[in-house]
Amino acid sequence: MYFAMSASIAPECNEKKERYDSCFLKWYSEKYLRGKGTEDECAPLFAKYKTCLTAALKERGIDKMLDEAREDHKESDLTNMPGRGR
Amino acid sequence: MRVFSNDCSFSYSWEEVSTANWRKYCPWNDKSTHVIAVDTLSRHVDPDSGILRTERLITVKQSAPKWLSSLMGGSDTSHVFEISYVDPAAKKVTMTSSNMTFSNIITCHETVVYKPLSDNKTQFLQEAKITAVCGGWQKIKNAVEEASVARFSENARTGREGFESVLEMSRRVFQNEKKEKERQKAIEREQMPQVEQKLMA
Repeated sequence: MYFAMSASIAPECNEKKERYDSCFLKWYSEKYLRGKGTEDECAPLFAKYKTCLTAALKERGIDKMLDEAREDHKESDLTNMPGRGR
Repeated sequence: MRVFSNDCSFSYSWEEVSTANWRKYCPWNDKSTHVIAVDTLSRHVDPDSGILRTERLITVKQSAPKWLSSLMGGSDTSHVFEISYVDPAAKKVTMTSSNMTFSNIITCHETVVYKPLSDNKTQFLQEAKITAVCGGWQKIKNAVEEASVARFSENARTGREGFESVLEMSRRVFQNEKKEKERQKAIEREQMPQVEQKLMA
């Protein structure tokens, strides 16, 4: 069931991304939505994917654009995560 | 500023929709081919609220109309930053996104919400605020906004169609997997007595 995911911006990260995405989707549907979610089980796979992705984003200069975008979205947490910013 | 809004529903449970949403732009969606990559930047469950917060980078490749393309420096690849919140207790998915590229020409802030209407129906609410920020005459700004809204509306329509395919495939694959599990169990049950018989002999 857990194949068919979208590609990564960096082809060299695709395999790591696929492994993480599969793990996440299984966790999300079988555990998180059923109230049994601790996210840590996919953390090692995410760490590997993220290392690859971070390097790729830096190489493409997207990391700086992301910092600006995050700044732009600051209010979003206040609206969507109750208890934040109080 | 122009506002584009869209309200529709999918005949699937909120659980199915919110799960399939993570792969809305997978190969099963043959309509939204302009989305070429979706990367997860960060993800965690907020310990206080139980909300799953995810940051994603969405990469889009779509050519703009010629007159607009020159304004964009001829590039047809753009990036969108998205933060999403899943609240499993309230059964609500909220996704907020904005364009990272061409933001000196236009800004597009989009919000999407998925909420259950019933056990097998989920509502999709979409709103986008599109504002031309480029210099120049109001006439040009209006044209830029209009072209963007038209494109946005077209992508929303194909996006819906594409997501329907993803939902259908997800359900089919899930059902097949369930059947396969049951079949395996049945085989195990059948073989059990034989194994026991062998052990007895």
